[in-house]
Amino acid sequence: MTPRMQEISQLDRVIHEPARLAIMLILGGAGEADFLYLQREGGFTQGNLSGHLAKLEEAGYVAIEKKFKGKVPLTVCSLTGKGRSAFAEYSNRMLGLLQSNGSSGHPAIDSGPPAIPPASPGAPPDCR
Amino acid sequence: MPIASPGQRAASYWFVDGLPDIVLGTTLLFFGALGLWWCIHVPKSLPQPDFFFIAAGLTLLIWKGRNVIDFLKSRLTYPRTGYVQPPEDLSEGFRPPSTLIALNLRPGPPPDENVTHFNTRTVMVVFFWCFYLVQNPWKSWYMLLAMPVLAVALYAWNRRTERPYRWWSALILALTGALLLWLDVPPLVQPLLLPLLAGVWLVAQGACTLVGYLRANPYSRTPEGVRA
Repeated sequence: MTPRMQEISQLDRVIHEPARLAIMLILGGAGEADFLYLQREGGFTQGNLSGHLAKLEEAGYVAIEKKFKGKVPLTVCSLTGKGRSAFAEYSNRMLGLLQSNGSSGHPAIDSGPPAIPPASPGAPPDCR
Repeated sequence: MPIASPGQRAASYWFVDGLPDIVLGTTLLFFGALGLWWCIHVPKSLPQPDFFFIAAGLTLLIWKGRNVIDFLKSRLTYPRTGYVQPPEDLSEGFRPPSTLIALNLRPGPPPDENVTHFNTRTVMVVFFWCFYLVQNPWKSWYMLLAMPVLAVALYAWNRRTERPYRWWSALILALTGALLLWLDVPPLVQPLLLPLLAGVWLVAQGACTLVGYLRANPYSRTPEGVRA
């Protein structure tokens, strides 16, 4: 197996699936969101989203919590510390792969992004 | 401005129902009316705390406004289109790598993710403009300038944020100054009319947004069992 193929095989498959990547991106950008918001933003069906969230929760990447907002119950999802570090690691690997391939044709990638240090679980988030 | 990254969409979502505008507008209306009432009915021998009412109202809004908006949203917005974390609460949160967002969505992701400039670029603009006008000797023709300046400031400073104002909406606000000159309002109370006019403008704008939102998103009860 070539080193490149080895890198590809080391990508986190839980995150790599497009729907789950979208969920991770939405939760990463929004902080926390409920089921209905995720469903509308990602264009998921209820069953589809439930299935993907269950997988992410099982991997420990997403926390699903029952909360009350003004006495109204909401099922709120958010990224866990493990989820953040896995996501950062996935991003680094993915970007490394794209850059090792020469020009990706994408301006944001070709400009050479700074490396993202993986956050250790329980440590304060790295960006804000 | 196209809003495409998840963080920007979440920040923009906070204004989809017009409730922040309505709450700010109502605060300005209530406390502006209180100040006006004091000016007109309380004897001049007593202190005239012109600006005190507006300052108290906006302080109260910054302190407790989020709770009021959250209370209203939990009944109107969250059951219809879902809940997302309020933008300002994300200060300690996590931001996904911008390059991955770009890869996933579009080139050139916005530098800020899920932040709101509402307090700094709308509430504080109204606050400081009212403060400046009240502190300076007032001439009746000032009103002709005061409202256009406020309108231009609100429009220009919010143009590239998650909550831009439409140009024609800002034009309406700018023209209200001329209306006051036409009505020949006594100069003494004119400075206090600025928050009142801004309040009416914000409430009207928020109400239109809210009606549009409610019509576009009728309430549909999701069976709790289906939720994750």
